[in-house]
Amino acid sequence: MTNVTSHDAVRFGNTELPPEQQESLRKAIRIEWATMGFLVVTTTMVFLVLGNSQAMKAAWIEDLLSFLPPISFLVAAHAIRKPPSEKHPYGYHRSTGVAHLVAAVALTVMGGYLLVESGLGLVKAEHPTIGGIELFGNTIWLGWLMMAVMIITSAPPVFLGRAKMKLAEKLHDKVLYADADMNKADWMTAIAAVAGVAGIGMGLWWADYAAALIISASILHDGFKNTRAAVSALMDKRAMTYDDGKPHPLGRQLDEYLRSLDWAEDAKSRIRDEGHVFHVESFVVPAGKVTPSLEQLEAARDACVAMDWKVQDMVIVPVAELPAEFLPGPTAGGER
Amino acid sequence: MRRRGMVAGLLLAVLLMLTGCAGSFPADPQGTLEKARGGTLRVGASMNGDWVRISADASGDVRNSDVQGREADLVRDFAAQLGADVEWVAGSEQVLTEELKHGGLDLVIGGLDDKTPWVTHAGLTRPYAESRDERGNPHKHVMLVPLGENAFLLELDKFLMAAKEQK
Repeated sequence: MTNVTSHDAVRFGNTELPPEQQESLRKAIRIEWATMGFLVVTTTMVFLVLGNSQAMKAAWIEDLLSFLPPISFLVAAHAIRKPPSEKHPYGYHRSTGVAHLVAAVALTVMGGYLLVESGLGLVKAEHPTIGGIELFGNTIWLGWLMMAVMIITSAPPVFLGRAKMKLAEKLHDKVLYADADMNKADWMTAIAAVAGVAGIGMGLWWADYAAALIISASILHDGFKNTRAAVSALMDKRAMTYDDGKPHPLGRQLDEYLRSLDWAEDAKSRIRDEGHVFHVESFVVPAGKVTPSLEQLEAARDACVAMDWKVQDMVIVPVAELPAEFLPGPTAGGER
Repeated sequence: MRRRGMVAGLLLAVLLMLTGCAGSFPADPQGTLEKARGGTLRVGASMNGDWVRISADASGDVRNSDVQGREADLVRDFAAQLGADVEWVAGSEQVLTEELKHGGLDLVIGGLDDKTPWVTHAGLTRPYAESRDERGNPHKHVMLVPLGENAFLLELDKFLMAAKEQK
């Protein structure tokens, strides 16, 4: 491939992506644009039938908020291409984390706002009023349209979410993961809104607020979860898997490899997740306190970098003993 | 998974209720339509040009013949369709919407448009007529119904749309 633009698009700063990740990144960018296109259509449709239902309003705001993760992803995917510079020696990988945090805070604020508003509506017992609408010369209840729109728009995000989830794992992208996670749960919002409107239809005015409360709570839940994940990533939490489920296995692999070297007696690394790629500092105690040669160190570093595309920014520090102050934890190399 | 279970449960409950009561859909929480049908329609009228003319001096309960105008005629036709007698109350928008909010009235007319500030007290019908004022600004005319009485509102909307087409 000699095409310069496509070459640019598949780098994360200095890190050249392997073919599988290049393909995933291109797909992810396409699928996020597709998501935005889909959202433009659904938010417009839902807006047209919004009426006085609080549940519909909550669902609509959730749809609007769904723009944030794709926008964050696309902005970050653009920013992280820049190679490190004198001013930014670690590169621009953190832009992913920043984008993630901005989206997460927006979710939290709107979720909280909707929760309070829906709760107040319930307390004040403001009965939601939904009348008729003219459709092809007939006057029908607007609630039917609301339910139809919510059902029509409920399914596609689930498929988009599943596709994104696979890509998020390959790219080790937490914004993409958060987006996929929210998309996958989107049908529940739609069902809750349908239930709320159906409740209004049955004369159970409070059902609308109950549904709105469920939707607001789910937005708030997403907000908290993502804020926590984004903040802890920016706070240099040790590298975790793409879903924050467990410590990333790469840490153990690196330590095991370094310990297995002829010239090394013990080794332990601290790894932070810069966004997609890892920043690795490996402390190695040479066997018999003999300083390793530059060739040995260079060979070890090359082998580690070859192990995974996420390892690029790595330093190996020969030390007389493992510095406990930099490597807190129960045992040397003990990754829980 | 807990959320998923909760929503699934809610959906099931809704389906059960839907199959359980196949009566009016949408239904009125306060039963306004049911009470009006073959009974009495309590209508608040506020004077406004050709839309609502009231010949009686006093506010409060007024005779049927005292209330005239385009909207008053529409209301009488609607009441006739429901087989209801109209009980008229004259007053300011403030007094009437307050009554509407607390269930003292079923309907309020007064040449109101869809920009009315009384949305906090009342539900709006769909605009059934348009007019222009002296400044050339358009007004989409609506009537006010009690909040959340959706069966009654839909019945009135249907009536108003049909009346609009006949003209």
